[in-house]
Amino acid sequence: MSGDLVFGLRGVRYRYHGRRPALDGIDLDVRRGERVALLGANGCGKSTLLKLLDGILAPAEGTMTVLGEPVRAVPNGEAAHRFHRTVGLVFQDPDVQLFSATVLDDVAFGPLQLGLPDAEVRERCDEALGRMGIARLADRAPFELSLGEKKRAAIASVLSLRPDVLLLDEPTASLDPRTRWVLVDLLRELGAGGRTVVTATHELDVVPAIAGRAVVIGEQRRVVADGPPADVLRDRELLLSANLVHERDQPL
Amino acid sequence: MHIPDGYLSPFFSVGSGVVTVPAWSVAAARLRRSLRGRSVPMLALLSAFSFALMLISFPVPGGTTAHAVGGTLIAIVVGPWAAVAGVSVALVIQALFFGDGGILAIPLNCLNLAVVLPLTGWAVYRLLGGARPAGRRRLWAAGVGAYAGLTLAALAVGVELGLQPALFQVAGQPVYAPYTIAQAVPAMLVAHGLGASFVEAAVTVLGLVYVERLGARSPAGS
Amino acid sequence: MSDWLERTAATIAGSIERAVFTEELARAPGWLQGLDPRAKLVACLTTVMAAGFLRSLTVLLALYAAVLAAAVASRTPLDLLVRRVWTGVPLFTAFVLVPSLFLGRPPYLAVHLSVPALWSAVIFVARVGTGVSAAVLLVLTTPWADLLRALHALRVPPVFVLVLSMTYRYAFLLLHALTGRLEARRSRVVGATRGGEQRAWLAGSAGALLDRSFQLGADVYAAMLARGFTGEVRTLRRFRLRRADAWAVAGAALLAAAALAAGTALP
Repeated sequence: MSGDLVFGLRGVRYRYHGRRPALDGIDLDVRRGERVALLGANGCGKSTLLKLLDGILAPAEGTMTVLGEPVRAVPNGEAAHRFHRTVGLVFQDPDVQLFSATVLDDVAFGPLQLGLPDAEVRERCDEALGRMGIARLADRAPFELSLGEKKRAAIASVLSLRPDVLLLDEPTASLDPRTRWVLVDLLRELGAGGRTVVTATHELDVVPAIAGRAVVIGEQRRVVADGPPADVLRDRELLLSANLVHERDQPL
Repeated sequence: MHIPDGYLSPFFSVGSGVVTVPAWSVAAARLRRSLRGRSVPMLALLSAFSFALMLISFPVPGGTTAHAVGGTLIAIVVGPWAAVAGVSVALVIQALFFGDGGILAIPLNCLNLAVVLPLTGWAVYRLLGGARPAGRRRLWAAGVGAYAGLTLAALAVGVELGLQPALFQVAGQPVYAPYTIAQAVPAMLVAHGLGASFVEAAVTVLGLVYVERLGARSPAGS
Repeated sequence: MSDWLERTAATIAGSIERAVFTEELARAPGWLQGLDPRAKLVACLTTVMAAGFLRSLTVLLALYAAVLAAAVASRTPLDLLVRRVWTGVPLFTAFVLVPSLFLGRPPYLAVHLSVPALWSAVIFVARVGTGVSAAVLLVLTTPWADLLRALHALRVPPVFVLVLSMTYRYAFLLLHALTGRLEARRSRVVGATRGGEQRAWLAGSAGALLDRSFQLGADVYAAMLARGFTGEVRTLRRFRLRRADAWAVAGAALLAAAALAAGTALP
């Protein structure tokens, strides 16, 4: 179960211009092949942490290693390209990720940037679209899609890069129940086959299906729990203090 | 204010490219330098902003409607050449996808709204506001600049339309737009100078206030 | 006077609906839809240019009929085509004409009542209508993504095409945000509002819109970087010119040439 260290964070802090710290001392190790659920209330820094893991932001304090390499600043140029070939981030807002004219163009964007020949780009697109079950939407414009379809297209656009590590920010937020569980099944498949997946979410009911490990970030912007989902989700005191449930919520 | 095809001789509308195309080149070069990779999405969003703004039409004196363009606002907040490119892209989209303004007339419509308007607005703004405009003076300069920009653009449209009967005639009858300068220019000036330009000024000033209050979130200083 | 905000809301909603509807139409199984978009773009430009130079009403009407015939062959509803073309054209004319009336120029009206003047006005309208119809038909039968790729194939720099593509894409997002604001405002209006308040709302919305634009611009850039954007724009090559496309372009060129030739002979 334990493999190479993919992400190693010690005392990582991050602060947006002149505001309270978004992350205040994160210690976290993620090993190859793990499926991690990053839990926390809205605004507790989950998105920021994912952006750090994806190399879009760099830690203000603390140390971070990615695949054994220390990261001190946002990677540039060639280093950034190599980085993004291995780690793929699916943003919370699919509209931000679907910026091309059609779904196919968006899915092809990554491989094209890699400089791959057209035939291989097409192959990867077919594969990614097929995985997410949206092959029939290839020629649609983003504004024609429903939210669920957009989320799937956004994931496909990252899958076409064939990353070893997949980061997902709130993939099931705002979806109706049926679409939600379709997406959960897709996410579960993505995690099979040895890929490392880190999913940030505040929806506790999907966690057991998509993750083998739950990490909770508390309101103090630090890791307050780290273990098997069953154990973490059973600790109601912890969940209350992290604002993941409220007294008035029914127990899971 | 977007001139459709058929109102102008094709020579005239495509010919205005002599001024517009170099303006585009300069804008592209400046943007590439100042915003680097960011210029692509940022420019797209600014064009989208101008496009959205142009969809809002309000009544003006003369009984018709006009719309704000936002060119001076973009020029002040991001830079004059960003405004040239941004408004141009918005106009191209309006012409190509919404049939608002002719296709052959694109260089001319861009000349009026994407070159004359923002560059005039920017120039007047800097003239009145000084090298480092701030506070009340900055807002005032922005408003006057925006007013001047839109009005001058309207004047340009009036002149261009008005020239058609003089330049292109068959058997004493105008071939293209039939209004003379004496008719087109006052019409455009009344609708804009007494109406739309004030709204453009208000949009620019209040838009600037809003942006200032939010702090330095714009991608490049002015 | 508060109608204009409502009309704006309607315009925006209309634009969004229209775009989605156009995309569907552009995928219907018709003649023009099956042609290469580059060929169509060239054919359209040729037609518009020809219309721009024509002085003969007969030939203009024939050209217009050709455009309508192409529409029929492409299963494009004619009433849609007519509506989209002719609602826009007269408005601009009225826009310039009405202030002239307002400023009191009766001699101008008298001039326009003479037969030659009326004739030239009719030709003018026919020319504008034909040109605009060709352009609208192009849009109705081509998915906008293909139109953009056609531009790219015609040597328009790829960066420009990418910006056009993203602008169109995000314009709808901003329009959506604007609609939200309009609806929020509507739900709070309990009496007649003054022009000043409306204009203030407009200005405030412009600022909010600009801010959202910056926000989105920064976010999209991050997303592009995260997928390896290097600043260079690369696209999938997808079009192959077939014989049908070459014939279409040739046909349009011939039509234009014939029209221009006939135009010198016919009234």
